[in-house]
Amino acid sequence: MPSPRLAEAVAVHGHLRPHDPALVFNDRTITYGELSDLTQAFRHSLLELRLPPGSTVCVPAYKTPETIALLLAVFHEGLVALAPAPDLGAAALARLSQQARATHVLTGSAIDALTADPVHTDEKEAAGFASADAGGSCLLLTTSGSTGTPKIVPSAAAGFEAFAAWATHEFALTSSDVALSYAPLNFDLALLDIWSFLQVGAQVVLVDQGRATDGPYVQALVAKHDVTFIQGVPMLYRLLVEDGSPNPAVRQVIFTGDSVPDSLLAPVSAAFPRARFHNVFGCTETNDSFIHEVDPATPTPRMPIGRPIAGTDALIRDPDGAIVRSAGAGELLVATPFQTDGYLNTALNAETFTVIDGRTFYRTGDLVTRDESGLYSLQGRADWQVKVRGVRTNLQEVERVIAAHPDVVEAVVVPLPDEQAGVRLHAHVSRRPSSALTGLRLRTHAGKNLPRHAIPTSVHVTDTPLPRTSTGKPDRNLIKSNRLKEIHP
Amino acid sequence: MNSKDVAGEIRAYVVAQFLAGEDSSDLTGDYSLIESGVIDSLGLIRLISHLTETYEVSFDDLELGPDNFRSLDAIVDLVTTHSTASAA
Repeated sequence: MPSPRLAEAVAVHGHLRPHDPALVFNDRTITYGELSDLTQAFRHSLLELRLPPGSTVCVPAYKTPETIALLLAVFHEGLVALAPAPDLGAAALARLSQQARATHVLTGSAIDALTADPVHTDEKEAAGFASADAGGSCLLLTTSGSTGTPKIVPSAAAGFEAFAAWATHEFALTSSDVALSYAPLNFDLALLDIWSFLQVGAQVVLVDQGRATDGPYVQALVAKHDVTFIQGVPMLYRLLVEDGSPNPAVRQVIFTGDSVPDSLLAPVSAAFPRARFHNVFGCTETNDSFIHEVDPATPTPRMPIGRPIAGTDALIRDPDGAIVRSAGAGELLVATPFQTDGYLNTALNAETFTVIDGRTFYRTGDLVTRDESGLYSLQGRADWQVKVRGVRTNLQEVERVIAAHPDVVEAVVVPLPDEQAGVRLHAHVSRRPSSALTGLRLRTHAGKNLPRHAIPTSVHVTDTPLPRTSTGKPDRNLIKSNRLKEIHP
Repeated sequence: MNSKDVAGEIRAYVVAQFLAGEDSSDLTGDYSLIESGVIDSLGLIRLISHLTETYEVSFDDLELGPDNFRSLDAIVDLVTTHSTASAA
């Protein structure tokens, strides 16, 4: 992850080009000079805490210039920062801090005021967790995981250096680039659209997390600051194409995090007439592993994730555990030059990481296909395979079929426990305004395109948008629990 | 019970059992209940047991194929044919 070298690079920018803009947040522009000064002030405050060398501190990842400066100060001092989501509950935050053996929870508020709340150490809570090695990593990210208990992922400092070098080359980044940073600061996406940009001395426009679904606001940021680089989930692009105006300054558009619906390609192409488009695939554990250049003018049935990026090895394992050598399908395993050395909770590592031919691979849990030419496509999550009446069914495939109905804006399909069938499928669908779509019409459509067992048993059609997680993905867990409450109040 | 009552009752049963809480205005007599997954194999068993109890009819094995339950019209036909037969 970010590294002491990153912190030094930012300090050098502050010295050589103090008046160049580093960060834009709401109506403030923070120059590299100001960012360096702020970082120095935080370094001074950190020294006053007299922490043992290599200590871990918890820095809730509020997406502000102050938090970014505070993290840079932590990297400078050779400390390790645990950077969880800022909206984590107090109990969860305390537990994570104890697991990571953080000494303090730090927040950098207005200007240069550092708040440091000591963490109660709890060796019981930290049992089974390795101590972060400040030499190898200075940032601990968390993944939410499907179980809801965050896993702590140390981001390798050397891995970040390699990643920043790759991204700078791949996207031809220079100090005159301007990134729109849409994802939360605690996401691995920030490694690219914040940290790599700061390393090259470019400008980062921070999207206020509280306004991330406000289309006109996000669109205005892109136009006003001459953004050249955008990375985000499909929902971001839905927001950005709403008003239909072109953004000729944008030269790189990156799709990530979710599959891009075909219907979005034409509007995106019109909104960014001079951009190159890439689909990038990755996760917190490995950072980016696949890239595919997209030509929006020639949509393919399903956008591939493409090919492994330089230095990445990818393997496909079939359900019997055998490696698929040619074209085929199975679970994707990747080894990237950027990946973590393993979760702090070491008990999780054996089932997630596996050494093959001397290299450590990460089991993504994603099902992929590889064609004869070596092009990979995502089929869905391995854990999204459910058995309906004994038949293996991929929820995402059902979702794709339903979403292909012309009156559907978005569809989520969740499995519900059923005494007789084991699992039955429930579809939650938002329809286009003024459409007369009903569940019955949707079933007719599904019946033509899906095997019988995969047709959802119940269909909820609504005019309101789907509920979303903080990252803009449809909130499947909430949809599922709401439906269960409806059935069993 | 005339065929209109039968049709109304069967429709109400299907809506209550298989389309609870949904907009059923599109449920016409010829809507494909089986092909569109409204009634699956487990649902078919429930439906048949409801029909045999409510209308005091019994179906022979040949009649139990999904084709005879493909739509509301088909189900009503099947039930009224049997009721007429037993009344006669």
